[in-house]
Amino acid sequence: MTTPHLTLTNLNAGYGRAQVLFDINLTITTGTIACVMGRNGVGKTTLLNTIAGLITPTHGTITHNGTDITTQPPHTRIHGGIAYAPQGHETFAPLTVAENLALAHHATKRGPTHLIDHALDRFPRLTPLLNRRAGLLSGGQAQQLAIARALVARPTLLILDEPTEGIQPSIVEEIETAITDIAAEGITVLLVEQYLDVALRLADTVTVLDAGRIIHSGNRADLTDTQAHALMAI
Amino acid sequence: MDALITQLPVGLAIGAVLLLAALGLNFTFGQMGVINMAHGEFIMIGAYTAYVLHAWIGVNPAYSLIVALPVAFAVTGTLGWLLELGLIRHFYGRPLDTLLLTFGIGMILQQAARDTFGAPNVDVPAPPWLTEGITLGDIRIHYARLFILTLALTAVAAIAYYLNRSRQGRQMRAVIHNRDLAAVTGINTRRVDATTFFIGSGLAGIAGVALTLTGPTGPTLGTNYIVDAFLVVVIGGLGQLRGTVIAAFALGMLNATVEAWTDASLAKLIAFTAIVALLQARPQGLFTVKTRALT
Repeated sequence: MTTPHLTLTNLNAGYGRAQVLFDINLTITTGTIACVMGRNGVGKTTLLNTIAGLITPTHGTITHNGTDITTQPPHTRIHGGIAYAPQGHETFAPLTVAENLALAHHATKRGPTHLIDHALDRFPRLTPLLNRRAGLLSGGQAQQLAIARALVARPTLLILDEPTEGIQPSIVEEIETAITDIAAEGITVLLVEQYLDVALRLADTVTVLDAGRIIHSGNRADLTDTQAHALMAI
Repeated sequence: MDALITQLPVGLAIGAVLLLAALGLNFTFGQMGVINMAHGEFIMIGAYTAYVLHAWIGVNPAYSLIVALPVAFAVTGTLGWLLELGLIRHFYGRPLDTLLLTFGIGMILQQAARDTFGAPNVDVPAPPWLTEGITLGDIRIHYARLFILTLALTAVAAIAYYLNRSRQGRQMRAVIHNRDLAAVTGINTRRVDATTFFIGSGLAGIAGVALTLTGPTGPTLGTNYIVDAFLVVVIGGLGQLRGTVIAAFALGMLNATVEAWTDASLAKLIAFTAIVALLQARPQGLFTVKTRALT
């Protein structure tokens, strides 16, 4: 259980001249749920985008399962087992739910279509909506589709950016359960989560960012709720 | 009303030509947002491909047109692919630079055509089986016009199938909708860009071959159609195939009927005024993708 799955070493990244991340060092262990927290604008999404390959780091390395993926384009990383559901429950709006799932399946060329069925089993709300265009889904449905689409790629590392943002409480519960089940299957989860309660219930490890730097990193079990609240208040 | 009916075949033929010219732009401009000013020159190269097959290689005129269609698609498709790979790729997100760049490429291609084939127009003889026509009441329908119309509609059907039913077509729509999301879904977005440009430019070649049926071929052939083709894509709603089809035929019919009552220049003026009025009312064009988003 202590095999490093993803290792970030001295990572600097940003947008042009605006540096957002400073000297990030982080190791995520296989099969755990790693939660990255912090206020708005501290660099959480930039961190995830850098890991997914949408942003090229200006310094440092990213190692996934022992392979240096720092310069790999996004699709190669996805083929290598990283899946990413970006912030804002993004889907391909002009395509149907079924087409969204098929697209991920074909793009990664990973095995039989039962992966789509498996993803739908996890989010049964999507099954009756298969022929609906994704642009017409509610926020909660779209988020479930976003996670299902990521799962169809059969990842070993699932990256989720604020999966519960702007979603009604009953669906937040469903998403929380799904994340727990996904991790129980041995998939490593890297989660950015604003809701402290959700994050603290799910996380095995907690990393707190402030102004682009890691100000805390450790096991969830070693952190009391009061300490967690104090860290988030910085 | 009588004028409308007699002008129907002419309007449909103009619409079909516009449609063929615009279908390629529907990919490169409508879907990818790249303003490729050299698209007109790709049309011209398509027309000269038909000429080369007939006059230089000596393919029998009876079927040189049919041979020219796939050859022109391959020739202009490859040129477009090279243009995307070598130049346009490095200018994504810089639309004005792309516009100037492709305008320059267009001028180079025009001059290359002038140097190769000479400044005067050349003729590509239509196959004998397309020179006749049929008369229905007051309406004379040339087989050449019917052929262009069939070609345009076949191209639309093929594109609709490609975009909606094929795996690559769905990947293309995904990349166009959200490039980053497509990349993190595992799609090789660069390869999709190259394919999109290949198909869009290839369609310009097919339009060029069709244009050899409507008149002489010269180095500035494409320039005459490029503005109208861009207008068709804008009126139809960017990237909307259905909109492109309707806009092309509407513009074709408008041109043909107004021209019958007035003259070519005034018809153009009236058509452009109508387009300006339409775009004031619906800047997004006739069709858009409906979503729950407020935009």
